[in-house]
Amino acid sequence: MKAVGICGSDVHFLKTLRCADFVVKQPMVIGHECAGIIEEVGSEVKHLVPGDRVALEPGISCWRCNVCKKGRYNLCPEMKFFATPPVHGSLANQVVHPADLCFKLPENVSLEEGAMCEPLSVGVHACRRANIGPETNILVMGAGPIGLVTLLAARAFGAPRIIIVDVDDYRLSVAKDLGADGIVKVSTNIQDIPEEVLLIHKAMGAGVDVTFDCAGFNKTMSTALSATRPGGKVCLVGMGHNEMTVPLTPAAAREVDVIGVFRYTNTWPLCLEFLRSGKIDVKPLITHRFGFSQREVEEAFETSARGGSAIKVMFNL
Amino acid sequence: MSSGGHIMAGIEEEEEEEEEENMAAWLLGIKNLKIGPYHLPSLGPHDVKVRIKALGICGSDVHHFKTMRCANFIVKKPMVIGHECAGVIEEVGSEVKTLAVGDRVALEPGISCRRCNLCKDGRYNLCPEMKFFGSPPTNGALANKVVHPANLCFKLPENVSLEEGAMCEPLSVGVHACRRAKIGPDTNVLIMGAGPIGLITLLAAHAFGAPRVMLIDVDGHRLSIAKKLGADEILQVSTNIEDVGEEVQKIQSAMSSGIDVSFDCVGYAKTMSTALNATRSGGKACLIGLALSEMTVPLTPAAAREVDIIGIFRYRNTWPLCIELLRTGKIDVKPLITHRFSFSQEEVEKAFETSAGGSNAIKVMFNL
Repeated sequence: MKAVGICGSDVHFLKTLRCADFVVKQPMVIGHECAGIIEEVGSEVKHLVPGDRVALEPGISCWRCNVCKKGRYNLCPEMKFFATPPVHGSLANQVVHPADLCFKLPENVSLEEGAMCEPLSVGVHACRRANIGPETNILVMGAGPIGLVTLLAARAFGAPRIIIVDVDDYRLSVAKDLGADGIVKVSTNIQDIPEEVLLIHKAMGAGVDVTFDCAGFNKTMSTALSATRPGGKVCLVGMGHNEMTVPLTPAAAREVDVIGVFRYTNTWPLCLEFLRSGKIDVKPLITHRFGFSQREVEEAFETSARGGSAIKVMFNL
Repeated sequence: MSSGGHIMAGIEEEEEEEEEENMAAWLLGIKNLKIGPYHLPSLGPHDVKVRIKALGICGSDVHHFKTMRCANFIVKKPMVIGHECAGVIEEVGSEVKTLAVGDRVALEPGISCRRCNLCKDGRYNLCPEMKFFGSPPTNGALANKVVHPANLCFKLPENVSLEEGAMCEPLSVGVHACRRAKIGPDTNVLIMGAGPIGLITLLAAHAFGAPRVMLIDVDGHRLSIAKKLGADEILQVSTNIEDVGEEVQKIQSAMSSGIDVSFDCVGYAKTMSTALNATRSGGKACLIGLALSEMTVPLTPAAAREVDIIGIFRYRNTWPLCIELLRTGKIDVKPLITHRFSFSQEEVEKAFETSAGGSNAIKVMFNL
């Protein structure tokens, strides 16, 4: 392992020992956004050799069940995913992993960028599920790491206009630097939705075809459903609360569909191509770096948990 | 009556000189329907005049009747009620080529603008300028005659009755839902609600090739009708939201191959929550029943299994398919027509009472 990024879910496990229905019941290695160098290959491995720089796709699915056979392997009920209990993660010197889930990095793509393929994959998968292209004007709720990779992915997929909203000024300025066409500061107050929808439409200057909710709260989802044009789509990317109270019926009466997004499928080759060609530049998202020692691991997680100016915290091993 | 001998240039027959005055059922206030004169607009070149022969009552008509509103539509002035209809052509506009006097036709209620982006994209059911029979302020069709664009009147085959023609409207909701949800030979279906819309969706789903369709409802009688109409499985459920977990288990037990698509034809938090929990990963839950405004539902766990929520609003381009399904007998809507009334003040009032009463009444039909 050479580069491992910290994800919001890793922080959640650290703080609570659980994430949704996954409960940490025994000691578990943490971390899943990673890239490294091949040290040894199995006897049947033909496409990789020791010394190859690779990005790792964390989840090992069963390849036998119906969802796997249909290509929707992210939904495999037997999925073994780095640092989702009880499967060990990859914040370690070395790991063993299936070769078909290790993707060779082009020469001009660094190991850190390789590790960034994991969060970037979430944005790429969301853009595919929502059919993003040259005709889709996008609204992104939340300018955190996932909102920002979704912004980058949507642009790479050809979206003509992208507006991003958040409660935090600093994160909005980062979004602007990363190429958002417009930013709107919003509140946490659910009464402000109608006013904010007006501001969003003004900033967009056109209808909203697709909204990505990268926060996953009642307010962000309600805003998304209200702001999206009839016949449009809202993608729930952020995994917020379990039960949500939202104006679902008025949205359904305008045929605004709600698309679920869970992790990703078959995204590494595309992510690496985007990085190789420069169509996407993830390097600005890496704001903090730490080495692999007891003290630095603790500091890194504290930094990531604080949020704010920390977007992606990266370990260099 | 003019004989052939008189040649008086420039005199055209006007509405007021016809033998009968056109009468319609006007909604004047809460639970206040009165039959009264209905002066029709003049016939445009692309319009036809239709003598209405069959008209069904919809839940939304009952809602307007009881409350003078339906969602954001408010009845502010007297409005003719009714929109599920079929009749006989009495007159055709100068540019109408495909229809003739005497043709039996089913009517698609909604006139969209045909100019906006949604219309041009084919999603005309979402047109913001839609003028829809019986949706205020547009007058409906429970009348002797209406004027309507010819391209929204669809000729009925010989073996399809006028009542079946009127049933094309509710049937269209089911057909549109099956299209949006991509129902086919691979999709096992769960339907929440065995009311008129749930039953029509059952018929449509089978017609689209769904191998197994399960219906759930709180009402045992409605479930027995569903079984007679071909439901592969039925389950009686409660109104208690705590029962969702147990009910989902029973549903998944009955449908062991998994549920690919759920149709919520009711639209409550409980039915939508059941739909989201019961549908398999990667499946779809369609919201057809437009009951509540805000709903508290387990959205995140559903999104985390990529269960998509598809919204259904009315229909588009469904009449030709509905008529074909009726013509071939692939769908039989006749059992859904449970009560019939004629067009008089007393009968109109009785009909609406019957429809509002629920349970035994599925489709209440006027014969004019």
